[in-house]
Amino acid sequence: MKIVVLVKQVPDSGAERNLRAEDNTVDRASANNVINEMDEYAIEEALRLQEAHGGEVTVLTMGPQRATESIRKALSMGPDGAVHVVDDALSGTDALGTSKVLAKALERLNADVIICGAESTDARGQVLPHMLAERLGVAALTGARKLTVDGSQLTIERQTEEGYEVVTAATPAIVSVWDTINEPRYPSFKGIMAAKKKPVETLSIADLGVDAGEVGWAGAQTTVKEHTKRPPRSAGQKVTDSGEGGVALVDYLSSEKFV
Amino acid sequence: MNPEQEQFRSSLHSLLAASDVPSIARAWAAGSCEPGLAMWRKLADLGVTALAIPAEYDGLEATATDLVIAFEELGHHAVPGPAIESVAVVPSLILSRLPETAADPAVARASDVASLASQWLPRFASGETLATLAWPPHQPFAVDAHIAALPFGGTPGETVASVDPTRHLSHIESEHFIGGRNDRAFDLGALACAAQLTGLGQAMLDLSVAYVQQRVQFGQPVGKFQAVKHHLADVRIALDFARPLVYSAAESLAPQDISAAKVAASAAAQLAARSGLQVHGAIAYTREYDFSLWLVKARALLPAWGTASWHRNRLLESL
Repeated sequence: MKIVVLVKQVPDSGAERNLRAEDNTVDRASANNVINEMDEYAIEEALRLQEAHGGEVTVLTMGPQRATESIRKALSMGPDGAVHVVDDALSGTDALGTSKVLAKALERLNADVIICGAESTDARGQVLPHMLAERLGVAALTGARKLTVDGSQLTIERQTEEGYEVVTAATPAIVSVWDTINEPRYPSFKGIMAAKKKPVETLSIADLGVDAGEVGWAGAQTTVKEHTKRPPRSAGQKVTDSGEGGVALVDYLSSEKFV
Repeated sequence: MNPEQEQFRSSLHSLLAASDVPSIARAWAAGSCEPGLAMWRKLADLGVTALAIPAEYDGLEATATDLVIAFEELGHHAVPGPAIESVAVVPSLILSRLPETAADPAVARASDVASLASQWLPRFASGETLATLAWPPHQPFAVDAHIAALPFGGTPGETVASVDPTRHLSHIESEHFIGGRNDRAFDLGALACAAQLTGLGQAMLDLSVAYVQQRVQFGQPVGKFQAVKHHLADVRIALDFARPLVYSAAESLAPQDISAAKVAASAAAQLAARSGLQVHGAIAYTREYDFSLWLVKARALLPAWGTASWHRNRLLESL
C-alpha cells in the first residue's frame, strides 16, 4: 500500500501569531514554525496503516525552504521519504492554487491512500482535502476519528457534532483526520538519526508542469484586503456576594439563556 | 547540541511533560510502581535505556553527550527509578569487563562476562528490565532493587529510608561486585548524576521563578523584591556555569573533568534547592506540593556517585 501524508509547516498555535502589515499574510519569519498539529495525527495513522498492511509512507509538503526542518521532524516519526515542493513563485498561493500544485505532485506519487489533517491551525479552512479529491477524481473521506482498511476498502467514522457517520470508499482515496483518531508517537533516538539519511526530493512548479501565472499572488482567487487585531478582552462583570450573589449569577446566566 | 540532539531532548521533554510525572513519582514512593514502569517502557521506546549499549546487543551506541541530554530531562521532570544504575552504570560495567575492553586482564572473566552481556544487555536496551546495584563505599545501598534486576548478583536485604521517598534503598547481601576508583562505569554514573542534578536544578529554578511572580506580599509579587531576584539570579549563574562543565566532561570522559562537572552540578543544584526553598517559604517542603519532589531528589543525588569532597580530591590529585 502506498500512502502519502500531507504535512504543512505552520506558526506555533501556542504562541501569538500575526499578519504582516505589507501583504496581509501570516508572519512566518518571526514565528516559531512547527508541523501543523493535526498532521502529526495523519502521520501516525499512516504509520499504523503501514505497520498493519505494509507498503511505503511518503511525506508531501509544499512550502518555503525552511519547511525542510518540519519535513525532517515528520520523517523522524518513521515515514520512508519525503517530497518537498518549493518554489519562490508559490508565495501568496491560496487554497485553490495549493490544491492544484499538490494534485500534480500526488499524480506523480500514485498513492493508494492520501492522509492529511482535517485542518491547519493557521488557515483552518478544511477545504483542501475536498479540492484535492475533486482534482484527482478520487473519494474524499473527511473528518475521520477512526479509519479501517479491508483490502482496497476504506471505512471511516466521520466525526460530527452529534456523533459519527460511517463512510466507505475504495482506494485510491483521500482521508482527513481529527486529533481524536490516535495518539501520535514521539520521535525516538533511532528515528531522529535515521531521518537524516532519508531521501527528500525537491520539486519546483516547472517540474510539476504548473504555470507560474496559475499560482502565487497572480493566480490567487482570494485576497485579504485588510486586517485588524482582535480587540483586547474587556473586563468582566464582578458580582459582589452580599447574600444575594447566587441569585445575581443565575440572573446573568438566564439573561444569556444558559439556564 | 546538534539539531538531532535538540530534537531528542524535545521529544523526551514532550513525552514527560504529558505524563504527569509528579503523580507517577508519588505512586512510586507509595510502592505502586506500575505507572512508573509503564513510563519507563515509553522512555525505552524513545531509546533512553539503549543509549549506552552497543549495537550488537540491540543498543544505540550513542555518545555520552546523548546520555547527558537524556539525564538532564530525567532530572528536569524528577523521573523516579534506578536511572543512573540502569541506563549508565550497569551496562557500562558489564561492557568494561568484557575481555576485549577490560583494562586489567585479571578482572576479565571471559565466559562469565560474555554471558552476562548477552543475557542482560538486550533486555536493558529494550526496556524489558531495569537494573540496579550497590557500589560501596560510594553507593552503599542499591536503589529500587524491588523492581530492578541485580545482574552482579546478591539479594536485596534490609531496606533503608531515603530522604527521597521514591528511592527504595536496600542492603545487598552477597560478595557483591565492586569496581575500581577510576572505573569507567563509575565515572559514567557520576556524569549521569551530574546531568540529572543540572536538570533538577533547572526545574527548581523554573518553579521558583513562576512562584515568585504569583505570590503577593506587601502589595506586590515577591519576585519584584531585589533580594529575591538576586537569589534566583545566583541560581541562574550557577547552573549556567555547571552545564558547560557537564557537556565538556561528556566530550572528554576524563575522570578529572567528570569530577569537576559533578562538583559544579551538585553546587548548582544545591543552590537551586536552597534558594527555591527560601523564596517559596514553607510550602516548598510540603509533600503535597510538587517542588518537594525535586527538592528531595536533589538532596539524595548530591552525595551520590562520589561526594563533592571525594571528587574535589580526585581532581586535586590529577593536577
